[in-house]
Amino acid sequence: MISLLSSSPRALLVAVIAASPLLWPLPAKAQSDIPVGVIMPITGREARPGQYQREGIELAIKQINDGGGIFVKSLNKKLPIREVFYDDGSDQARSASLAERAMSSDNVVAVIGGYSTVLGEAESVMADRYQTPWITPGSAASSIFSKGYQYTFGTLSSVENLGYTTGQFLGWLVDQGKLKKGLKIALAVENTDHGVDYVNGIQKWIGEHAGYFTIVLNEKFELGGTDFSGLLQKIKTAHADIFLSDAHLQDYVTMQRQYLQAGMYHQMISYGARGPEADARKALGPGIDYIFAGIWWSKDLGYAQVKKFNTDYTAAYNRPPDSWYAATAYDAMRTLAQSIEKAGSLKKDTIRDQLRSGELRGSLLPGQTLKFGKTGQVANAFVIVQNKPDGKIDIVFPSDAATGPAIAPKPQN
Amino acid sequence: MSGSAQPAGGLQRILRAALPVLLLIVLACVPAANLGANFTKVLFLTFLAVSASVAWNILGGFAGQASFGFAVFYGLGAYTTAVGMNAGLGPYLTYLIAAVLAAVASLLIGLPTFRLRGPYFAIATIGVSEAVRVIMTNLQFTGGASGCRITERVPFRQADHYYTGLALAAIAVCISMLVRNSRFGLALRAIHDDQDAASDSGVNPYLHKIAAHAIAAAITGATGGVYARYSAFISPDGVFAFQRSVAIVLMPIIGGVNTIWGPVAGGGVYGVIEEELTARFPEFHLLLYGMLLILIILFEPGGLLGLLVRLRRLARRWRAA
Amino acid sequence: MTAVDYLNLLIAALLLAGTYAAMAVGMTVIYGVMKIVNLAHAGFLMLGAYFVYEVHERAGWPPLVGVALAFPAFFAFGLLIHWLLGRGIPVSDEPTLASLMLMFGLWLALQNLGYLVWGTSDRSILTPMTFATLRFGEITIPKIGMVVFVSALVSLGALEFILHRTWFGRSIRALIQNRYACRIVGVPVQKTARLTFGLGVAFSGAAGGLLGMLYPFSPDFGRPFLLRSFVIIVLGGLESFSGVFLGALILALTETFSILFIPTGYQPAISFGLLVVALIVLPGGIAGLLERKRRLA
Repeated sequence: MISLLSSSPRALLVAVIAASPLLWPLPAKAQSDIPVGVIMPITGREARPGQYQREGIELAIKQINDGGGIFVKSLNKKLPIREVFYDDGSDQARSASLAERAMSSDNVVAVIGGYSTVLGEAESVMADRYQTPWITPGSAASSIFSKGYQYTFGTLSSVENLGYTTGQFLGWLVDQGKLKKGLKIALAVENTDHGVDYVNGIQKWIGEHAGYFTIVLNEKFELGGTDFSGLLQKIKTAHADIFLSDAHLQDYVTMQRQYLQAGMYHQMISYGARGPEADARKALGPGIDYIFAGIWWSKDLGYAQVKKFNTDYTAAYNRPPDSWYAATAYDAMRTLAQSIEKAGSLKKDTIRDQLRSGELRGSLLPGQTLKFGKTGQVANAFVIVQNKPDGKIDIVFPSDAATGPAIAPKPQN
Repeated sequence: MSGSAQPAGGLQRILRAALPVLLLIVLACVPAANLGANFTKVLFLTFLAVSASVAWNILGGFAGQASFGFAVFYGLGAYTTAVGMNAGLGPYLTYLIAAVLAAVASLLIGLPTFRLRGPYFAIATIGVSEAVRVIMTNLQFTGGASGCRITERVPFRQADHYYTGLALAAIAVCISMLVRNSRFGLALRAIHDDQDAASDSGVNPYLHKIAAHAIAAAITGATGGVYARYSAFISPDGVFAFQRSVAIVLMPIIGGVNTIWGPVAGGGVYGVIEEELTARFPEFHLLLYGMLLILIILFEPGGLLGLLVRLRRLARRWRAA
Repeated sequence: MTAVDYLNLLIAALLLAGTYAAMAVGMTVIYGVMKIVNLAHAGFLMLGAYFVYEVHERAGWPPLVGVALAFPAFFAFGLLIHWLLGRGIPVSDEPTLASLMLMFGLWLALQNLGYLVWGTSDRSILTPMTFATLRFGEITIPKIGMVVFVSALVSLGALEFILHRTWFGRSIRALIQNRYACRIVGVPVQKTARLTFGLGVAFSGAAGGLLGMLYPFSPDFGRPFLLRSFVIIVLGGLESFSGVFLGALILALTETFSILFIPTGYQPAISFGLLVVALIVLPGGIAGLLERKRRLA
């Protein structure tokens, strides 16, 4: 015992010295590329969307590098982008730590990352701390952008707008005569800022349009649950006409499955920003027909650049883009590249200034322009898509972007 | 065989005592050496790991009462600092309050649960930790599931955090040494060896375990607070996570449970591995910990330190042969 | 809330209880005999789900066949693991921290293996039956819930049979009661322990398969069920099988009906709170309480 106590400090010293080469920073070398940090979950709960966002970013990088890279005026040459990728495993502490690592020892000029609100919140702290621009193509909660930080940017419009657009869509259906007035809505949202924003948006619309809908249930559930039977029972007993939820992909699939098993029915069903995902279709088949979702982008938008993106993406990954994930990430990278070029140097402050003031024309997003607002978040419009039988997905709202009719109420099973 | 044991001469003893101090001095010079923010961050996180590891060991190693729910103290400490700093309190004050709060919580938890033995206690601690996590996820006052952000209007100085972490780890180790070499520590050892015999000898196991629990909880709470200030954003799923309780248990076991420096080594190893592994080989780290744990339990329950002792003995025998 | 709503909830709770009981039994068997809290139970549940999934995907056999096959497959797997890790899995009177950590390490390793083999995305076992519901007027019962419930009861019945009608089962019960006496009487302790471990893992795997029919799963699948198994075993007493039924019923009823009174978000806290309260108030579980009453009477 005593020998343990006395040998250990020496052993400790040896261990520390032995381990330090692992941490030794590499010597600096001449600038031969532009390092950009990419932090996405590709394992863990958010693996699927994280993977898609990574693919969008990497497609953009490849296309830029195929053209020789970005022209940096201060060095008077084109430099390729070098992606510094980290998997944060859907873990928030790790996400923050990796962002810090990328911004400090990897010396990136910017970081694109943060799929989902909590991961985004954790990473965003590092942006101002290390004064490195940080763009998130996957977090939309306004709380990230409302703290007065200077280096945070997001290519997703706020979730409150999503809720508001959902309200607009439902109201439009009433005006069209497809739904009756005064229907009851049951809300069951994820217990995060995302869910809270969503409910706020819906309530805002309902408040502005009296008589259209009433909310009879407003519940929150914990993310990542396996058994929603209790919640669904509660929804069942609320006897509502419309069921609106806001959930992550995994919870959407689980809940919808148990919803179907419980033999429930509502005239309209939505899971917020989830609906058309291929994984859901694979898991539930016709069980997701007629579910609608408010999303930031759809591959069926009629723009020429969207068609080109679809073709390029399918060629690169052997499948069409799934829901909206890859597109917002793709444009995040493109706008970053444009800002670097406009900045004329690799100084992070200048790049940040360009991100702030610039805009990306020919964006994939609805409206075809990507411009960061005062808080750093974009304010592009949403599209409502609805799942149709046989795996089809239609844009059903707004009417000028629609590719098919909105089916309401949902046909009975 | 062990006739070759050298008598610990005065000089040797001074050298052995000087080593930790030397280590401390070396670590204190790191920020000045300007080795990069990431290097400093990794060391900082390692200091926190060491603190929590050493703290747990006071209850789990010395007293032999393994708790699987130490994340509850870590999380409470983190939230104390977050709420406190957002209310305008200075960070160091909040660390103190965090320690006190965690100690009080440990009393609440320990009073009913220390009557339980064996796995029942371990399971109860998991239950408590998870229950608190769920409650915090729903408590709107602290931000609920969205977490809590600390807004500090002073510029970020990494060195401040670094030295706080180092001080915390040093304090934890000192407390551990004090406990170990005191009458209190002797009582804990007796309880660990045989609780009934200790009780018959006049040691009150219940009170002693409560005290050890409180000390361990206080240190862990302060650790949580220090972490919260650094990361500036915490959420229940992060600081109260079951994985965190697991990590806190894993470290002393890897390093060598029931010693002073074992948890330190375990914390060091964990801190470094966690950082490097998650950055480079994230898909293997569960496997690594799992295999490490299995190998340690099967072949060297004394952890890394036990391994070192064994190697030393082998080397001595080889030299003598 | 109408009477029909209450009835629906009750039925849902009962179906859930059956599943939970099957899930917890594997852990009980192992603890009762070897005093090991099998944290790797979560890993076996997960593997069981994937096993049935693969059988369904590759051979196209119905999931129930997969569950039936899981019994022998996981029995063999359990034997293998016990043989490999035997040094760390003592048959002792008191559970040890070492065995706890060993099983935990095993769980971590299994989880990672799951990630390596099957990736992180969720899988589901989908059959035409998955979405079918039985309707009796206003009452809806998911068909698959019914199937799983019945299968759980059948497998528990099989366990009861093994325990009370076979020599092996008698050895197990003897070991639970008194290890030393077993040695005196001639029960092969080590061999029985190994076979029991296999049995426990077999039940865990099969239960995992049943759960996989109900819920989507990923390599992290086991964790919430692990904690629930704890609650059930504690409520029912770690050494009694009828207690497991009781514990499962209490947990299922509490979970299902608690949402009527509290916000849904707090529901897991109820389960954990129940666990802690039960541990403190009923150290032997409810079955222990009944046992004590019976003895005193």
